[in-house]
Amino acid sequence: MKSSPCEARSSYLGFVAHEFRNPLATALWCAQLLGRLAPEERGGPRGLKLAAMAQRAMARVGRLLEDHFLVERLEVRGLPLRPEPLELGAAVRAAAGAAAVAGATVVVAAGELSVSADHGLLQRCLEALLAAAGKEGAAIQVEIGASAAGASVRVLGAPLPPEALERPAKGAPSDPTGRALGLFAARAAAEAMGATLAIDGGAALLCFPGDGGAP
Amino acid sequence: MTAPLVLVVDDDPDIMEAIADILETEGYRVARARHGGEALARVAEERPALILLDLMMPVMDGPTFAAELRRQEGGDRIPVVVISADGNAERAERVRAQAFLAKPFDIDALLAQAARATGGPESAGASHP
Repeated sequence: MKSSPCEARSSYLGFVAHEFRNPLATALWCAQLLGRLAPEERGGPRGLKLAAMAQRAMARVGRLLEDHFLVERLEVRGLPLRPEPLELGAAVRAAAGAAAVAGATVVVAAGELSVSADHGLLQRCLEALLAAAGKEGAAIQVEIGASAAGASVRVLGAPLPPEALERPAKGAPSDPTGRALGLFAARAAAEAMGATLAIDGGAALLCFPGDGGAP
Repeated sequence: MTAPLVLVVDDDPDIMEAIADILETEGYRVARARHGGEALARVAEERPALILLDLMMPVMDGPTFAAELRRQEGGDRIPVVVISADGNAERAERVRAQAFLAKPFDIDALLAQAARATGGPESAGASHP
């Protein structure tokens, strides 16, 4: 039986809360344990280990927060958008650096292609796609192409299931890197830019309408 | 004297590492499992004195593992404490756990449950018949 909008939203928020609680717990415990160490132990191996665990946990919280509130703000149309001409190859390379996925191969099928898009949203979208494609060290290939329909970015790497772009619900797989909302946020960002994001044969396909333009 | 063995069952690697650190520093031995299937294997290798069990895990979730454990001889005598980010104690009741700790719980609450179940890290390793 199809759930009501309220039930669906409640399930989604339950999932988000669950994702926040694990890294928060880790960070709190590390802070408690660090507080219990003698001053001279805090700079020792255990102290450094606990500090690193806490930092990793809070980085995870940070990613979740950013994605969660991006989705929320886009849903209420509360984010001002500033479209500008952006060269897709450069945008992909910048996003690869930010997503810490070195070694992504960028293949541009038809020269340099530009689209009119909000820089921040395009970066967030591409970072999420690259992070998902590079999961567990998978090799990433990005294909940028133009057609009569417009410009497209295909991101190939770790295969994505068909439901990867859907709003997560309670019981959805957890993500220890803090990117559980990444693809859902990427879809929201794409739609806000007037683009489409779909899963095509396990790869993410981002399409911008129009002729794609050229610099 | 062998310190009591605590089996931690959680798919979150950060949670696993943090809880293992807490318990090992206190003097317990810790076995690890990322889901219920691995947990059953760990129990077969060495019966733990306590199981800390997450509920939502891939492959085999907490309630399914608990049901499988209860089917084993002596399995229902191994104390289980649910550790969950779910925030809902109803699912924990299905597990018939000794206690339910909602993440982020206090470290001392965890250590109190561990001491209650095992007699403390100084006690001999559990041998549940």
